[in-house]
Amino acid sequence: MKRFFTFIIVLFLTQAQVFAYPEFYEYSRKVSNRKTNCALCHSHGDGPEGLEPGQIGSLNKDEMEKLMRARSTFNLGSKVESPILNSFGNQIIFTLGKKKFLELKTHPQDLARELGLKSDLDSDGIPDSVEYLDGTLAISPEDGHPWKLFVSNLQKYFKHILLAIVSVSLLLYGFINFLKGLDLAAKVKGDNHETKKH
Amino acid sequence: MKMLNTLSGFIKERFPLENMNMKSMLMKKVVPVHKLSWAYYLGGLTLLFFIIQVLTGLFLLFYYQPTVNEAYDSVKFITEKVPGGAVIRNMHTWSSSAMILCAIIHFLTTFAMKAFEKPREITWWSGVVLIFITFTFGFSGYLLPWHQLSVNATKVGLQFIGAVGQYLPGVLSELPNKLIEIIQGGPSIGQETLSRFFAIHIVILPLAILAILGVHLLSVQLHGMSKGVSRNVEKTEPFFPNFLIKDFSLWAIVFLILFILSITIPFESFFPYPLTEPYNPLGSTPDGIKPEWYFFFLYYPMELLPFWVIIVAMGVLVVGLFLVPRIFQGTKRKTLRFLSWLAFAYFVIMTVFGEAIFEMIKGVK
Repeated sequence: MKRFFTFIIVLFLTQAQVFAYPEFYEYSRKVSNRKTNCALCHSHGDGPEGLEPGQIGSLNKDEMEKLMRARSTFNLGSKVESPILNSFGNQIIFTLGKKKFLELKTHPQDLARELGLKSDLDSDGIPDSVEYLDGTLAISPEDGHPWKLFVSNLQKYFKHILLAIVSVSLLLYGFINFLKGLDLAAKVKGDNHETKKH
Repeated sequence: MKMLNTLSGFIKERFPLENMNMKSMLMKKVVPVHKLSWAYYLGGLTLLFFIIQVLTGLFLLFYYQPTVNEAYDSVKFITEKVPGGAVIRNMHTWSSSAMILCAIIHFLTTFAMKAFEKPREITWWSGVVLIFITFTFGFSGYLLPWHQLSVNATKVGLQFIGAVGQYLPGVLSELPNKLIEIIQGGPSIGQETLSRFFAIHIVILPLAILAILGVHLLSVQLHGMSKGVSRNVEKTEPFFPNFLIKDFSLWAIVFLILFILSITIPFESFFPYPLTEPYNPLGSTPDGIKPEWYFFFLYYPMELLPFWVIIVAMGVLVVGLFLVPRIFQGTKRKTLRFLSWLAFAYFVIMTVFGEAIFEMIKGVK
């Protein structure tokens, strides 16, 4: 049975058209000047084709079913869990629906506007649509425009930074006084030594 | 026998036993005060960054797995799952760059201030070795996350060693390739390479740096800070506690800046593209593979000039660095300052504009 199923998948792979839409990452590349790839929306950086994890060739029966369901989601608002898409890819389909998404293929510059500024999947403070234009990953808090990350994280971690400043200042104050105390003690000891000598 | 006596005399003069006590190394030590006094803090700052490297490196060791199958995921786990892991990792990477930058500026200011003069030759030589070790730290550590960029950049670095072979005669021409095999632990980059780089990065280099740093600091404390300027310095301040207090205050400020940088800007956000998968030996080499920024001053000339020019220049530079106390014995500080500025300008231009210069000359984009 397992062999039969593998055969069906292989047959499907050789026959089925692999849907990838490089127009979007190519546009992202163009406007951001970053070497963005399929990882922008797909689970694998090389796109859906192949046998690596996150690519069609590696999918099991359940995942294939999920993929089929995701591909037939033409209307917006339907929760999709395509195994070959990352959460940003799935979010696009959820927000726009497959139909609208396919329409945007010819004018990928409108994707950011259509997505809006609400969604921020990685909670890094930069909306997913802005990350699309910046050529950074909307699902990684480590990947983002450095300056935008700085501004956003500065607000997010303001209390941590304040606490660090207070702690380091107190530690320094204590240590400086410790050094001064040592110096004073050494001088007193030196004076006593001199007095004894005389 | 005469040679042995000369050597013994040389060492005695550089490490005077009578001065090896707290009184002369700490209490009585004074620091000259002049317009270049800021440079006296650079060595301490480099040391601070090294200490941060050791401490954050120890934290990373709790989770990092040095195997080709787990290295990338363990780094991802540290960054995404471990509480505070991202900050610790960012502090490690930010401070590694800061340490190298500080070491370079410290090195150039030391040269400009003629701090290699007798009896400070050993301080200079140990400093040269320390800077080489610092660069090796950067090179070996870069491979450890085991992503496309790090492995391919290491490959490029090792290829340069291999390229030396074509200029060596006879049997010697095989030597660089053998050396690469020893470093890699095999004919290609794999698990053995990662294991070796890991061992080099966390055991061999730290031990080496601690030993040489010990000699370096002992020598600095024994002979005190060099006066740094040509005219006679009249104003001085006690090393203990005045200079030390200023030094530690600067450490505190720099530490806070580093902490704020690490918590707000992930170092990876400067990468040319997101790294979402571990290194795949069968995958295509991604665009724009280049080493870390602190190797640009070496990398772009290597790409632009004939390789033999680089080998000759590197050979002359390395030998020249060790002979500095002899070569520049009678040189005025003004000339040394000019040479330091020249070297610094070259470093900055190659680091900031190296890629643009390369694209302009080669006509590629």
